[in-house]
Amino acid sequence: MNKYKIIESSFRVLSRNKLNTFFMILGIVIGIAALSLTFSLGKSTEKQLTEKVKKLFSPNNILITSGRVELGGGRSSESATANLKIEDIEAIMNEIPGVTMYDVFQTTPERDVIFGNKNVSTAINGGTAEGEIVMRRSVTKGEYFSKAEEKSSARVALIGTKIAKKLFEDSDPVGAQIRVGQVPFTVKGVLEERGIDPHGSDLDMNVIVPITTLMNRLMNVNYIAGAKIEVEDASKTEEIAVKITSLLRERHSLNVNETNDFSLVTPVMVKEIIKKMNRVFTLFLPLISGIALLVGGVVIVVIMLMSVSKRVSEIGLRKALGARPKDIMFQFLVEASVLALFGGVIGLSLGLTAAWLFMSSKGLIFFFPWETVLIGVLFPIIIGVLAGILPARKAAQLNPIEALS
Amino acid sequence: MIQLRNVSKIYGKDGGQQVNALDSANLNINKGEFVAIIGASGSGKSTMMNILGMLDRPTSGEYYLDDKEVSTLNDDELANIRNKKIGFVFQKFHLLPKTTAIENVELPLIYSDRKDIRKFAVEALAKVGLSNRGKHRTNELSGGQQQRVAIARALVNEPEVILGDEPTGNLDSKSGLEIVGVFQELNRSGKTIILITHSSEVAQHANRIIRIHDGKIVEDYKVEKPLDAVAELADLKNKKVNINTEVHKS
Repeated sequence: MNKYKIIESSFRVLSRNKLNTFFMILGIVIGIAALSLTFSLGKSTEKQLTEKVKKLFSPNNILITSGRVELGGGRSSESATANLKIEDIEAIMNEIPGVTMYDVFQTTPERDVIFGNKNVSTAINGGTAEGEIVMRRSVTKGEYFSKAEEKSSARVALIGTKIAKKLFEDSDPVGAQIRVGQVPFTVKGVLEERGIDPHGSDLDMNVIVPITTLMNRLMNVNYIAGAKIEVEDASKTEEIAVKITSLLRERHSLNVNETNDFSLVTPVMVKEIIKKMNRVFTLFLPLISGIALLVGGVVIVVIMLMSVSKRVSEIGLRKALGARPKDIMFQFLVEASVLALFGGVIGLSLGLTAAWLFMSSKGLIFFFPWETVLIGVLFPIIIGVLAGILPARKAAQLNPIEALS
Repeated sequence: MIQLRNVSKIYGKDGGQQVNALDSANLNINKGEFVAIIGASGSGKSTMMNILGMLDRPTSGEYYLDDKEVSTLNDDELANIRNKKIGFVFQKFHLLPKTTAIENVELPLIYSDRKDIRKFAVEALAKVGLSNRGKHRTNELSGGQQQRVAIARALVNEPEVILGDEPTGNLDSKSGLEIVGVFQELNRSGKTIILITHSSEVAQHANRIIRIHDGKIVEDYKVEKPLDAVAELADLKNKKVNINTEVHKS
């Protein structure tokens, strides 16, 4: 048998029965388009999220927050937010080996930041002098505040580029006197431009002051919202997280029945959060695509069975002319696979184009996911062969005499 | 070359109503013969055609093709023999729709091991006088031309036997005669022709006539002076001219 000619003729059959072909590939096109779209979006967002998180969170970081935080969600309502103290974090630093530095954070509600007759409303953040390293913040003009300034509740502030722009326009803010509400501050430096963080807040609208200054002079509280710990050896991060938990429980005098009044976020958990956020892409949408592909396969079975009935005389003729049952089988399997592959390629182009359009409209980078090409080609062939088996067997078993009469 | 020994074909299940479509048929056909098998519908001639063409196996008896017993071969072996040794021409042409003439002629070659498929198909089309119609789709051709394409398809694998099943049945008398002429020409070039027909007029073009009735061969005789389709066509043309001139006169 000349396989090449059979394959060639399958293209002819499909191109000459356009309406049939259209309906047969529709399901596959939709399925593969949806699959490649979601896969591509999922991969792209995951990659970008991971990269952004990497900037904020290294494998040797542990995040401690006051109160209970549900993974991937907001704070739980009953959480006692006044329990975490700077002393707790200092104790971690002093008592647990392997912890090298920390930054703490606490944030005010929006306050007026005033320079001369200009005024910007933004939340004020507090941190330690090590925040420069732990939070990967760098200062483009001036310098970061010092440990001494942190300890002495000095009235110094670091401002984001947008704040600088709004208050000072093009003049140099370093050394200038600004006010936060009624409290005067000296601008110590301008923070590097950082854009929008994964939660949607604009990091360039940041004002950062020493944590003690924030607690004593702006908020009058004795607790912090959280802290970020840096450990020496990234492989020990999870181990140290366990030690931190028991230390904090001890310091907060929690008995065995009580749940933690703080939460830890470790690199392993961050990975899981990202996975969870992507679940809609990696689980739910592929499931829908899978159903579309299944329906597409069933449509191929049904229409091909119809087509076998319509082509009884062709099949009989081919048999009379010397086609063996397996040759007929081969022909119909090829037709089904070519069809499905055709649908797959169309679906793939549609899906990836849509993904690309979507990503670029959001100003995000589009990653070409090579895996989807494999999926868009292999899946349809498998579906085609599976869907073709029934019609092909029916065709192969036709009796040429009945077929020709 | 073809030898049937006591070949019977019984349709219907054991115990149920059985039909002896073919009843102990004995037949010898030699290479180069032009045989017409005639009979009324239901006489068993279609069954004879199916068995000779190896589309069906006899219930009992033996079928020798080139001294080889073929009635016991499996489906794949039968397909192979049909492909190499038998060329089929059907009443309803059985050309693939929406497909060009040349692609139809290529069809048997697809199931053979031969290379240069296109070249053989072109040659076969030339033999039936349709060289210039190769690229035409079959639905663009007249009935007579379609049947010629079918004959080219039957010829392309250079089989020993051409089996025609009422090949003129769907054609007007002139196209029918042309097709019979093609068969006669093929026979003169050495092909063995077996024509199944209900028309005794068509049968008169063969060298030998076998009549089947109720599944039995009831007559088997040589035709002393077979009709010549080409000559008849020439006569027909003349007559037409005469009629035309007469009409013109009056």
